[in-house]
Amino acid sequence: MAEAPLFKPKLKVGKPLFGILVFLMYVFLSAPLLIVFIVSFDSNQFLSFPPQGFTFKWYELLPKETTFMNGLRISLIVAPIVTLIVLLIGVPAALALDRFEFKAKGALQSFFLSPLLIPSIVLALGLVLLFSPLRLTNTYAGIVIGHVAITFPFVVRTTLMSLATSDTSCEAAARILGANSWTVFRRITLPIIQPGVIAGGVIAFIVSFDEAVISLFVAESGLPTLPVNVLRYVENQADAAVAALSVILILFSLVVVVIVERVMGLRKALR
Amino acid sequence: MSITQTEPRQADRPGHEPGALEKAKVARDRRTYIALLVPAILGLFVSFVLPLAYMIRMSFNQGAPDGVIVETFTLDTYIQPLTDPFYWRVTLDTFQMGVIVGILCVLVSYPVALFLARTTSKYKGLLIAIAIAPLLTSAVVRTYGWMVILGTNGLVNSSLKGMGIIDTPLKLTNNMTGVTIGLVEIFMPYAILAMISGFGRLSYQLEEAAGSLGANKFKVFTKVTLPLSLPGILTAFLMVFVLSISTFITPRLLGGGSVQVLATEIYDQTTGLLNWPFAAALSVILLVLFGAVIAVYQRITKKIGG
Amino acid sequence: MNSTKLSIVDLTKRYAPGLEPAVDRLNMSVEEGHLVALLGPSGCGKTTTLRMVAGLMDPTSGSIVVDGKDITHTPVNKRGMGMVFQSYALFPHMDVAQNVAFGLQMRKVPAKEQAKRVAAALDMVQLGHLAKRKVRELSGGQQQRIALARALVVEPTLLLLDEPLSNLDAKLRETMRTEIRSIQQRTGATTLFVTHDQDEALDMADRIAVMNGGLIEQFGPPTEVYERPNTHFVANFIGQANFLTANVVSENGPATDGERYYKVDIEGLGTFGAVGHPGLTGTHELVIRPQRLQASLHAPLGANSITGTIERVSYTGDTLGFSVRAGERLLHAQLMTSSADMPRQGDTAHLSWEAADAYIIPKTPQGPAS
Repeated sequence: MAEAPLFKPKLKVGKPLFGILVFLMYVFLSAPLLIVFIVSFDSNQFLSFPPQGFTFKWYELLPKETTFMNGLRISLIVAPIVTLIVLLIGVPAALALDRFEFKAKGALQSFFLSPLLIPSIVLALGLVLLFSPLRLTNTYAGIVIGHVAITFPFVVRTTLMSLATSDTSCEAAARILGANSWTVFRRITLPIIQPGVIAGGVIAFIVSFDEAVISLFVAESGLPTLPVNVLRYVENQADAAVAALSVILILFSLVVVVIVERVMGLRKALR
Repeated sequence: MSITQTEPRQADRPGHEPGALEKAKVARDRRTYIALLVPAILGLFVSFVLPLAYMIRMSFNQGAPDGVIVETFTLDTYIQPLTDPFYWRVTLDTFQMGVIVGILCVLVSYPVALFLARTTSKYKGLLIAIAIAPLLTSAVVRTYGWMVILGTNGLVNSSLKGMGIIDTPLKLTNNMTGVTIGLVEIFMPYAILAMISGFGRLSYQLEEAAGSLGANKFKVFTKVTLPLSLPGILTAFLMVFVLSISTFITPRLLGGGSVQVLATEIYDQTTGLLNWPFAAALSVILLVLFGAVIAVYQRITKKIGG
Repeated sequence: MNSTKLSIVDLTKRYAPGLEPAVDRLNMSVEEGHLVALLGPSGCGKTTTLRMVAGLMDPTSGSIVVDGKDITHTPVNKRGMGMVFQSYALFPHMDVAQNVAFGLQMRKVPAKEQAKRVAAALDMVQLGHLAKRKVRELSGGQQQRIALARALVVEPTLLLLDEPLSNLDAKLRETMRTEIRSIQQRTGATTLFVTHDQDEALDMADRIAVMNGGLIEQFGPPTEVYERPNTHFVANFIGQANFLTANVVSENGPATDGERYYKVDIEGLGTFGAVGHPGLTGTHELVIRPQRLQASLHAPLGANSITGTIERVSYTGDTLGFSVRAGERLLHAQLMTSSADMPRQGDTAHLSWEAADAYIIPKTPQGPAS
């Protein structure tokens, strides 16, 4: 047995086949994004394939499409506010969970992550029911409150991850050198956990920016966000202007993906 | 320099109370973490707990025509969906869609996850990122992409027509087929993520060891690879299932109004028919379905883990 | 001329009521300018003691006095200490100079003076040329020196070192020992040094506190804890030791430093010479370092000699170790190697010692400490 010839890695015959299979699955996975890309440059007015000719006109049309522009404006107001709020409440919460010992810790952590486990349509309904008598439907406050719930867990999770890998003795060292608690947080802890905070922040931003269901329920008629307007547009007509807009949205997501991947790794952040 | 021990050590000396300094520190820490937690707890309470609680309460009210809500405490709203054959159909369709999407999604994701779990390529990180990046793109956009692919004049139909395989376009949108295809793709990144994490114990070395002991490819797969990847597969399936039964955008867009699942029904009841207690009851039913699956899932993972 | 810099009085730490204390009514005083090593196995309370002195941990009871002032209630950021951590704890987002300047900024030292003092501190650890480097670009040894510079630049009341060498490889560790010691002596910083490595403690410290189970077993200069261990634990923990149970037969007159020569009886082997505190009677443990045993294959070399059979020989190039069985006792001897006369397993050997090298441990052996 000891002198047996080295076993050659198996799947020798299966390997190219397996490779092709994996490649096809990747194609399937990216198909809708790729096709949107192609269609956005197609001169044909309606959805069809193969493309008829190359044009930029759909992109040029976008600024004149008021529903998109209004939606974009609303989304660009909502998403930064949501991001700011969840960072302001999420980072301290993560800090408390990681740096202190208390009984309800495990329960609180589950509670903080639980919005990820609730179907957004259910939460959306709850929000609209609650908001109607309070006159919060079709208001920025209403949309923001709804988005806070679904983005909060991301911030807590990424921040917790950064906290878990940070060296607490850095904080101890700073305190010994004369820093008070606030200075330690601002000058030591925050910079060290910055990757988790940034990752959580940009994920919160893109989740809020792309969120359609809660916005649809809470503010369809009064303050339609960009995804809501795209949804309604696609329901009625499906010309290539949507494709051009979609490409821009995809590129936007791509920026977020690259940031998250660079600061802490996409897989870790989304887990 | 001196060293004195004031009295001999006694093992059975009674346990001291915490010192004054320690007590002060405990109190200080307590104030700090409470201050840090309160904003988050308040935020989630307002944006999450309160809406759900209010919705559950609403489900026991009674809806009347034109959006009038009768404040009461009744189970009427539950009796209708649980007795009316139409809603039975909707619930069953939702469930069935979840199962089918779950199975298909696992099937297409498994090779990718397997590949990603054991590749030693230096592009492993990038390949993983590409596989899960669609998670951060808009569901509306991705569904729209599928509408382009599957539509009457879409990629599939025009290609097949162009090749002379079909004369009349296949009906791939505005029905469950389209919704299923779209959902399978949309949930692939979740399934892949869940599987990679679940494949912890799976490794090339193990498969190689099995191979070196004389097992052929098929045997290596069925006796080593597959059993070891079962927990990941199961996790992925249940995850995709719960996501599918509660998803709204894809059934709405790719279903084009002719696919009725719980989520679309909740929307119609809320915005169209303004029967809020009824919509709330449907949501509670969805939540129960959801919760049941998650409970089953947790039991299974505990069993596998232990 | 020497004044007391730090006094620890009845310091106790219990992590939870009812638990055995991690530090149990510890008393110790440290002279100005001294480097004191807290030496002991993990869990002996040495790090807990250090963290309480630093102010990172609150004592259950007892007090800490620095320069005659009770600082037990002084918060950590007001104690003016400098500390080097096992992980160095350099701030990863700052460059080297910013790291070193941090403590000065906290003290609101004017920028000009800051720059001067940072430069001086970096020169002291010979890393002036790395001021603008990122922390992660530094080697372990460099990080260690920066951590030392950062702790010393504030002219701390006490320098606290928590296993600062344990993350370095063996060779670098020896270089850093010399360097830390020489910097400490140059700056005159009174230093507490936590380590589990006896060589480090013996090499660097003015005084060693050997700790075990939350207590100090012995506190004294390195030669004293090595040559004259108070307890079995100390003898066993520091260096290698042969232990022999012996009955004191008679006192045989004065030895150096107020000690007395004794005649002791080792059961089954006869009577031998030893040395110890005045006034010892009854049964005690005798400790003889393997290096202090002389060996001969032919005839006993002196009066205090045991004859036995060689069970094992271990040759390491520099030294030759062997285990000699005499009855039910196994004695270990270590000699410098020489080309002559390689002993072999099964040979008969005579091990002998000077009476002054067989020390009678004053305390009677305790149960669990072996």
